[in-house]
Amino acid sequence: MSTTNERILLLIGSPKGLEGSNSGRLGSRVVDGLKERGWSSESIHLHQAVRSEEAMEQLLAAIRQADVVLLAAPLYVDSLPAPVIRAFERIAAERKPEDIERVARFASILNCGFVEPQQNRTCQRMLKRFADCAGFEWVYGVSLGATGRTTKRVCRALDILVEALDLELLVSEEAGQLTDKPVLPPWLYILGGNMMWKQWADRNGVKDRLRARPYAANGN
Amino acid sequence: MGTQALILDGGLGDGRDTREVRAIIDAVLREAGWQVALLALRDIDISPCLGCFGCWIKTPGICVIDDAGRETARRIVQSDLVVYLTPLTFGGYSSELKKALDRSIPNILPFFQRIKREIHHVKRYARYPRLIGIGVYSDGRADPDDEELFETLIHRNAINMHAPAHATCVVDDADPNDLRRCRIERVVEKVIGS
Repeated sequence: MSTTNERILLLIGSPKGLEGSNSGRLGSRVVDGLKERGWSSESIHLHQAVRSEEAMEQLLAAIRQADVVLLAAPLYVDSLPAPVIRAFERIAAERKPEDIERVARFASILNCGFVEPQQNRTCQRMLKRFADCAGFEWVYGVSLGATGRTTKRVCRALDILVEALDLELLVSEEAGQLTDKPVLPPWLYILGGNMMWKQWADRNGVKDRLRARPYAANGN
Repeated sequence: MGTQALILDGGLGDGRDTREVRAIIDAVLREAGWQVALLALRDIDISPCLGCFGCWIKTPGICVIDDAGRETARRIVQSDLVVYLTPLTFGGYSSELKKALDRSIPNILPFFQRIKREIHHVKRYARYPRLIGIGVYSDGRADPDDEELFETLIHRNAINMHAPAHATCVVDDADPNDLRRCRIERVVEKVIGS
């Protein structure tokens, strides 16, 4: 294995952290690919970072040392989870593009709970806007549906991202073509998903209350 | 249609305040005959969503976290109109507004359905509030694409949260009061007149 001086910082945007989340699994795949190419790495859970000033300072210092910053996060209500936005507000406030000597590259992997990867597009645009505001060079956003289920096509797209980051290339259009198509037909995703919710509720003894309306008022 | 409005103020208080715009929204709605409630989210402790789906499969309709996030979700679904007021943050919501929105998903069901050729969640309630999104520029980082991006975000949220009508506008804190008021009147008229 060759070594380089390059460093990737993986930012985990899921409340479940690096080990327990699909975001962590997807981000780690890219990080592992770069480590095989000699990169060093660091991972930070953003939900932890926003809890103290000390952790936030560590985040800012890690960003200053990174050549690539990679966000791996779930889509929450068409946007990023609130703690990720909080961290990014602070990062953008601290980093004025005109004062930055070392411009790190920024990439993202978003996964949503719907089957269509395109539902991440609005959030990817906001991430590009963040990158511009915070003095990063925007590279690419990988958008995945079905909570980031990894098929061969998804793995290939992540490998393309690894190569592009390592060789400082543009991410080829193939990556988008590989991930644009839903990994399951929508009708099957609906059928399977709706069965899954009922099974989970049944295990918790609340199957009969799944459609409860605890805040109903005025006939609502 | 009822006349209970709720303003969710996501002002950040770091020079990216929304109080002036909030006062204009409040006045415009009251003059139109609405009762207006306000949640200044910066002053309310709402823990982040855990992403656990407990609000769907353990305590259906109620978040498993027992804090002000529950009350916020209740007030949202019991309103006839909700205003998302936010400093425009990378074209979207501030963290203060988003912490409340992330905790509002108990108001929809986990089940999937197709809406306009996309998968979305099914309604839990019969009625949902109309939605107005108002973004405020106050940090001098205006971008020509931000307004369209914010509009798209509100449109997407309106689909996911089953808002029967929605509209957006972006105002600049540096603009004269009359201009900001004019823009807000227009967007309120668009939503409550529809």
